Amino acid sequence: MTAIPNLIIETLPEFLLHAITLERESVERYEELGDSMEVHNNPQIAAVFRKLARYGELHANEIEQHATGLELPRIPPWDFKWTTPESPETGDMEQLHYLMTQGQALIFALHNETQGRDFYAHVAATSTNQEVRELAAEFAEEETDHMNWLNAWIRNLADPDSVSPEDLDPPNVTE
Amino acid sequence: MHGNTPITGLKPKDYKTGIKPVWCPGCGDFSVLSAVTKALAHLALPHQNVAMISGIGCSSRLPAYTSVYGFHGVHGRALALASGLKAARPDLTVLVAGGDGDGFSIGGNHFLHACRRNMDMTYIVMDNEVYGMTKGQASPTTAPDWTQSKLTPHGPGVPQFIPAAIALVSGATFIARGFTGNPNGLTKLLVEAIEHPGFSFVQALSPCPTYRPEHKAWKKQVRPVEEEATSDPIIAAQRIQTDDGMSTGVLYQTTVPVWQPEQGISADTGQLEEVFFV
Repeated sequence: MTAIPNLIIETLPEFLLHAITLERESVERYEELGDSMEVHNNPQIAAVFRKLARYGELHANEIEQHATGLELPRIPPWDFKWTTPESPETGDMEQLHYLMTQGQALIFALHNETQGRDFYAHVAATSTNQEVRELAAEFAEEETDHMNWLNAWIRNLADPDSVSPEDLDPPNVTE
Repeated sequence: MHGNTPITGLKPKDYKTGIKPVWCPGCGDFSVLSAVTKALAHLALPHQNVAMISGIGCSSRLPAYTSVYGFHGVHGRALALASGLKAARPDLTVLVAGGDGDGFSIGGNHFLHACRRNMDMTYIVMDNEVYGMTKGQASPTTAPDWTQSKLTPHGPGVPQFIPAAIALVSGATFIARGFTGNPNGLTKLLVEAIEHPGFSFVQALSPCPTYRPEHKAWKKQVRPVEEEATSDPIIAAQRIQTDDGMSTGVLYQTTVPVWQPEQGISADTGQLEEVFFV
């Protein structure tokens, strides 16, 4: 993997701050999406995002345990070494729609996990710190497990490729 | 920003109220909420020393979602309310939020004079080039050939308002443009705007997925400004007028004395009760 200049993480505290932020922002985003789908009367997809938030919370707690006793640096949001505009598992908001289906929601989540895996893989391949490389590789494997779990969930859907149903009362009808 | 004693350890989430936003999924305003809360957490501003003022519109719901003091005012009057608040409480960090319709049409006159007055506050305009809350009518920043509204089936037919240019000629001392597709970049702009002494204006390009789905193309069109921010208004004017409105970053910044009215003689509640029947 090619190292991206200025995006190389060298110390364990810096890496753990990135990992914790990645996981926490992912949980917050799923919670926000759960709220949003509830507000827009799409309870089935709200439940999907709530479930993803719960799993993300468990993972975030695990990663935070690695930082026990360490003093983490303070990094402004814009100076994080992401390869994406936001932390990798917050998703592309443009892909969202209030009528999105379960298949679309899970593909959104799969994209997030893939970006998370790619971030950890990049750190594992480019850091000069052995401890960081090993932990990043471990986290990349965990993200791969999440991707496999999501892929299995998608395969088990009755209609994974379903498109959003037609809105019989669309918002952009005026008068 | 003023001499607030920062509170360390606050996280962006600590600046959210927990009220569920009613914005459409995919709305850029979610990213503005994220950027505002990240900026407040980065600056570690105590909640009680910050006020978020707004007018009317989708974006003007921001005070409900941020756990600082808030005032969801009337249409187009956010800057007037904020100016009054800042005059009375200069110690507060005053943030003003709104949309392109609220800020540039109904509140257009207030915008001009807020820029000119240069009180120390930050105005964030979530520009989606449409009136979203009222179901998609053309706003001052809508392109003249946008034909998707039944009210303007042949397009508005009049040139777009250029917010940065108007802010510059009106006397704003900090002018920036951000994009909600880059929330962390927008956070940086907001931090700089809040720290700027004087009136700071941040135009946040905020796609509307419901009425302007074509805004998805913005992601490929926005780019960082190529030059450092200038303090020369002539250079800034030239850059703004020759730009397509998709360059993001600080476009202009200068330092001139902040206008702050002298505190008048205050009245106690007894005196107020003589004037106002409660």
